[in-house]
Amino acid sequence: MSYKKTIGIEVHCELKTKEKLFSPSLNNYGSLANSNANIIDLGYPGTLPTLNKEAILLAIRACKVLNCKIRKIQHFDRKNYFYPDNPKNFQITEERTPIGYDGYVEINDDGVTKKIEILEMHIEEDTSKSIHSKETTLLDFNRAGVPLIEIVTKPCIHTAKEATLYLEKLRELLLYANVSDCKIEEGSMRCDANISISKTDTLGTKIEVKNIGSITNVGLAIEYEGKRQAEILDAGEKLQEETRRYDAKLDKTILMRVKETGNDYRYFPEPDIPYLVLTDEMIEEVTKNIPVSADIRRKKYQEAGINEININKLIANKDLSDYLEEFTNLNLKTASNLLLGDIQAYLNKVNKSILETKLTKDKMIKLVSYLDDGKISHKNFKDIVLDIMETDKEIDTILEEKGIQNVVDNTLVLEIIEKVLKDNENVVLDYKNGNERSLKFLMGQVMKESKGSVNPKLANDLLIEKLK
Amino acid sequence: MSKYLEMDITSIHELLVNKKIKPIDLVEEALEKIGNNEARAFITIDYEGARKQALELENIEVEKDNLLFGLPIAIKDNIMVKDLKCTCASHILENFVSIYDASVVKLIKDKKMIIIGKTNMDEFAMGSTSETSYFGCPVNPWNKDKVPGGSSGGSAVCVASHITPFALGSDTGGSIRQPASFNGIVGMKPTYGRVSRFGLVAFASSLDQIGPMTTNVLENAILLNAISQKDEKDLTSFETKEDFTRLIGEDIKGMKIAVPNYFVSSVVDSKVVERIKEVCDFLIQKGCIVDYVDINHIDKAPILYQIIAMGEASSNLARFDGIRYGLKEDSNTLEDLYKKTRSKGFGREVKRRIMVGSYILSGENAKIYYNKALQIRDDLKKSFDKVFNDYDLIIGPSSSRVAYDLNNNMDDPLKCFMDDILVMHANMGGFPSLSLPVGLIDNLPIGMQIMAKHFNEATIYKLASFIEKEFKVEEVK
Repeated sequence: MSYKKTIGIEVHCELKTKEKLFSPSLNNYGSLANSNANIIDLGYPGTLPTLNKEAILLAIRACKVLNCKIRKIQHFDRKNYFYPDNPKNFQITEERTPIGYDGYVEINDDGVTKKIEILEMHIEEDTSKSIHSKETTLLDFNRAGVPLIEIVTKPCIHTAKEATLYLEKLRELLLYANVSDCKIEEGSMRCDANISISKTDTLGTKIEVKNIGSITNVGLAIEYEGKRQAEILDAGEKLQEETRRYDAKLDKTILMRVKETGNDYRYFPEPDIPYLVLTDEMIEEVTKNIPVSADIRRKKYQEAGINEININKLIANKDLSDYLEEFTNLNLKTASNLLLGDIQAYLNKVNKSILETKLTKDKMIKLVSYLDDGKISHKNFKDIVLDIMETDKEIDTILEEKGIQNVVDNTLVLEIIEKVLKDNENVVLDYKNGNERSLKFLMGQVMKESKGSVNPKLANDLLIEKLK
Repeated sequence: MSKYLEMDITSIHELLVNKKIKPIDLVEEALEKIGNNEARAFITIDYEGARKQALELENIEVEKDNLLFGLPIAIKDNIMVKDLKCTCASHILENFVSIYDASVVKLIKDKKMIIIGKTNMDEFAMGSTSETSYFGCPVNPWNKDKVPGGSSGGSAVCVASHITPFALGSDTGGSIRQPASFNGIVGMKPTYGRVSRFGLVAFASSLDQIGPMTTNVLENAILLNAISQKDEKDLTSFETKEDFTRLIGEDIKGMKIAVPNYFVSSVVDSKVVERIKEVCDFLIQKGCIVDYVDINHIDKAPILYQIIAMGEASSNLARFDGIRYGLKEDSNTLEDLYKKTRSKGFGREVKRRIMVGSYILSGENAKIYYNKALQIRDDLKKSFDKVFNDYDLIIGPSSSRVAYDLNNNMDDPLKCFMDDILVMHANMGGFPSLSLPVGLIDNLPIGMQIMAKHFNEATIYKLASFIEKEFKVEEVK
């Protein structure tokens, strides 16, 4: 009989607020070290916390997208422990009254839907960042006091795949709700996994693997732990509760520390922050303003006839998907081809977000309609992409400047077609003898002759007509 | 030496307005009275800053509607004043210079008062004699062999010695009112939330409150007017702008006053009880209704205080670790740094309270002690609220005895809590409470406490001012 793995996952996500949780310092990743740290963040004597309402609203939003029940009366607690990255030597958290509880995330494991149950979600402040060098450890307090939510699942996950599916879904939900950036590489999403194995219904010894560097690695760490723990148990040895880390290069987990009997955090209610009372109106207001989820966008894209590959690309590229959300009456299929093709290539090259370009809404609407009407081709677009993205010029002006003729005049196209047919009499014969591939060749010649300036659909239709 | 600072502030203000004196005269008088700081009322004296500010004030017109203009004030050394040391009377912060002003200090500066210096106190406000100060105990001006009280001992000595007409103190379990009582001055602990705590080094956050210490009732109310304001930086502060002097001078006839039987029981020195009863008789004579009442849980305050205050203190003082500011002892490992810095930096009483507090919050103890104490605290508050449904005020002694000999408590750490058994209720319930001198016993001042329901400071001042003016005692030698 083989072992069954039982896994619980804890995720910390930084909330995307303007300011910190308990002080007016900016919550801004990547600033010069210690430039976003005031006396409150540094734990100066005499300072008191304030409470950032934006963080509370985002946490409510997170509760909503994770299907959590919301606790309307909460208080913060102090978690007391000494560590240099912990400026007050206590962390303000919600130990006893987490804002969210009894939630779930639905995952789709090869067509089978499963609910991953969420035990609780609470709000807390981040610590400062330790930067270790050979001689010394430096502290960056920019991160101290950044709002976090911690999401804890029940021990209801049993495979590495379920774990990674859960994390991907969780990330997508929070990202699309604009709750968090969820960038594991920048630390705005951090994953810990508690893994045990057992042959019976009684759970085995819990091993915690902390701060795993990517969702894929969570899966690998779980697989590795499952094997490692089984080997130890099969050898007749006992496991002990411990904290490990996953080394991706070695594909191994490595012991950090053995857990001592019950950490004593001396929790007690934070006396400097009054009870937090959420009203129904507040919750309703938040619920109304949740951005459109990835699932709803997927459905919309499917209905617009966008293929699966492009749908996945759009969802993976939230900026582009958000950009599309701005429009109400746009041919999403054409628009997505445009965005995922030359535009994305351009954005990648210059390392910019679409919002930082000169592609205004009006320009986009015009572009899509020109493409649909055949006024320009995708090939034309390649030539004008730079001007469109980097200048304020009107599209018509750009086309004129580039000398791109909008070949929509049938007679002009017909002239080209007739020339091609005349030059390729043998191929025309082939076609008439039933060789379908000849059409493609002739079409290619038409495009070549017109230097790509004719609308392919129009040319194709006319060509078939002419060949009859 | 001039004696302007022994006058009432209205008279001083008139002299300033009429250009008979300048703020610098008051500063020089205060500094002269401090002398070499023999009384140890101060930890830091801002000679340069105070003189500079006084001279700067000469360039502007005296604000006629601001009685506090140009008057010197002393600030307890656990309240942040930018660019001055804030030591909390502790070795661990001996050289700590504040980089910001407490919200209350900003208000003081807005009123153009002149901060003379930072006053001595029990280390981190932990004590009731000021003997735990790292810088030595201030001297009681009434009798140098007696304790000055604490923890705001330096502020009380400063005001009692007329060095400044005003001082700020902080009160966690009687730390304004008990030293006020021992020094024969007026000290008010306002309603919790009345005065912003931003910039007050926290001892027990749910009990701490800053308040005014003055020589008389009116001036106390005037200073409270200046310092009470809602502060966005303190979530526990309230919007409560009002004039605290507005009821002063009104007739007290018909006021309903309760005296808890516990406050006049055998826990209190009999001479003190006698004096309080004399005041009660006087009030009855003047048309007040005075009833002796029993209040549930009233005897539990010291136990609650020790659990709640020490629990919170153990957490509040954790930040003094040698890493970001304050004393830092050389060490090779992190654990060593914590141990050495905190062992050397904190005094005995502070360490004792941190250890007891940590124990109280540890593991299951939090449930057994801390959470239970919070429940009983709530019950205690409710039983006081019930009394306030029927009575305007509660009165009693401020301290169970007058100032006692130095070094009296050192052998028994529990003794110092016994001083404050009558004043801790106000902190537990968040009630405003004032101590007012009501004569002397054995040549030492005795204080009477007047307590009201939340936000009723004005009513307290009304009665206090009446007693101050009308109640005369035969001084018994």
